[in-house]
Amino acid sequence: MNTLVGNPQEDFLVIDDVKTHFDLGSKFLTRESKGVVKAVDGVSLTIRKGEILGLVGESGCGKSTLSRTIMQLLRPTSGRIWLKGRELTALSDKQIRSERINFQMIFQDPYASLNPRMTVLDTLAEAVRTRHPELKGDELRARVAQLLRTVGLNPFQMKRYPHEFSGGQRQRVAIARALAPEPELIIADEPVSALDVSIQSQILNLLKKLTSELGLTMIFISHDLSVVRYISDRIAVMYLGKIVELGDAEAVVDHPLHIYTKALMSAIPEPDPVSERSRTRIVLEGDPPSPMAPPDGCKFWPRSPVEHDERMRHEEPPFEEHVPGHWVSKCPFCVQETQAG
Amino acid sequence: MTDHSETAVLGDKPATAAAGAPVITEEDLVEGSSLWKDAWSRLKKNKLAVGSLAVFIFICLFCVVGPFLSPYDANAQDLFAGAEGPSADHWFGTDTLGRDLMVRVMEGGRISLLVGLVATVVALAIGVIYGATAGYVGGKVDASMMRFVDLLYALPFTIFVILLMVAFGRSMWLMFVAIGCVEWLSMARIVRSGVISLKKQEFVEAAVSLGYSHRRIIIRHLIPNVLGPVIVISTLTVPAVMLLEAFLSFLGLGVQPPNASWGVLINEGQANMEIYPWLLLFPAGFFAVTLFCLNFIGDGLRDALDPKSAKD
Repeated sequence: MNTLVGNPQEDFLVIDDVKTHFDLGSKFLTRESKGVVKAVDGVSLTIRKGEILGLVGESGCGKSTLSRTIMQLLRPTSGRIWLKGRELTALSDKQIRSERINFQMIFQDPYASLNPRMTVLDTLAEAVRTRHPELKGDELRARVAQLLRTVGLNPFQMKRYPHEFSGGQRQRVAIARALAPEPELIIADEPVSALDVSIQSQILNLLKKLTSELGLTMIFISHDLSVVRYISDRIAVMYLGKIVELGDAEAVVDHPLHIYTKALMSAIPEPDPVSERSRTRIVLEGDPPSPMAPPDGCKFWPRSPVEHDERMRHEEPPFEEHVPGHWVSKCPFCVQETQAG
Repeated sequence: MTDHSETAVLGDKPATAAAGAPVITEEDLVEGSSLWKDAWSRLKKNKLAVGSLAVFIFICLFCVVGPFLSPYDANAQDLFAGAEGPSADHWFGTDTLGRDLMVRVMEGGRISLLVGLVATVVALAIGVIYGATAGYVGGKVDASMMRFVDLLYALPFTIFVILLMVAFGRSMWLMFVAIGCVEWLSMARIVRSGVISLKKQEFVEAAVSLGYSHRRIIIRHLIPNVLGPVIVISTLTVPAVMLLEAFLSFLGLGVQPPNASWGVLINEGQANMEIYPWLLLFPAGFFAVTLFCLNFIGDGLRDALDPKSAKD
């Protein structure tokens, strides 16, 4: 891929300069604006069919807003999104509804993402019928059973309620629900962060297996780099509503360019105690600035351990291809040749 | 969807893809226990609530069936038998006009319970629809709908009822309307807040992202989940309404003699309280026991439906 924004007619998912801002409204008497939260502030991406794109960043960087914008649960303030040549952002709310079976989401909290008053059978049957409204009775049940087997659950449990399952099992049900309408794109929003570490790897392996077996495309969102490194083909690093680095998973993990990515990488603990002791950490100071009042220029300058000059405090660095396929927000202070690699 | 049909795990034709799998019949399935079932089994362990329920059912049967079995008519006067204490003929005694008090307590109970039930159902219907709409739609619609509720809340209830009575004359149905008008307000607020907090839950987001219609989301996903608190509030609304009715009847604004309600009977009883105490004790006793029972049932339901809020 040689351009960041691909050809909407050919590429699978194209995101072109999407911004999602939240207007906090105006004050009661003075009509003075309370401000605008720029949760997603100009993201461009092209996602190939069949790949797993990992999206990482600190909490509050706009990962979840971006995922909900792609899902059209939130409409972007500006920018366009195409899925298989269909411009989602141009569709009306009604048109979007029939389009939704093509892209589904797996949510973070399996305790909140299933309706507690519905059996697994009801939940999945309802979702299956979005694509196959003609199915009912035994056929529908067979289909639900098949879905449950696909995600590794015992189909004889389908008449049970969510609260009768463990967290990992519930997340499997949620995955089955996302698969039920037979989507081509799945957005997984921190699907393992609410689970026990021992369950996390099971769910990760399941997601990895399903993507390759079903030919799905997935956007995998997490704040946990070790998880993203394991599952992703490519990784995008987000900071304050923008993507600061994008590239193949190995390239981003092994040869991070941006100092922010390096800091994130240095935060991954090493399993080996010897190398863990020699691990050098880049410690970032302070919290990320408020997305209501993001800094000018290179958004990273207030926290960067490398002092930025006056120009980069005001001038936004370009997002450029550093080496083929590896993009970075090219601030001369954040991206330094000597440190790369 | 061409890519999908090539995969073995999930085919494009679910019926054929599933053909290889064993057929699953209804009997094979492990039956789950719904939250309602769990709540019922918790409620059954609450002795106070179960006892209250039994007493309440007994009182209802007593009031509804009783008058058919009694040899006396509630309004038949027997001036020679005026104001006698409990006896073998008249178990609860008679009032100053010689009417059998037991039948009058039964008849009064019918009206009191009817008011409680009808006004609660009215409040429930208006409150749930109004509150769910306001909460689900949100924004300006929600704000203006709730300001209207605040406005009604601010009206002093007694003056409101007196004005209604003066304008339209005294009638029992008007009283239902007046009480219903007041009681649906809290119901609407509770349903609205429930819907707002549910709307942000991920399962509702999931329902939206599956492309379900608003109707389906409200009916299948939102309302069943606010039903718990609604049931509790309804059980607690019934005694509140009955108390209001008694209060209005006591003031002479509610049920009019010769019709009896517990409120009317208590009013009549307190007039002669010092000479004929049974005229006050029987209706007041029934009323108090009924209110106690309903409140205990409501508390029990709250603990059963939301075990997290239980005291222990």
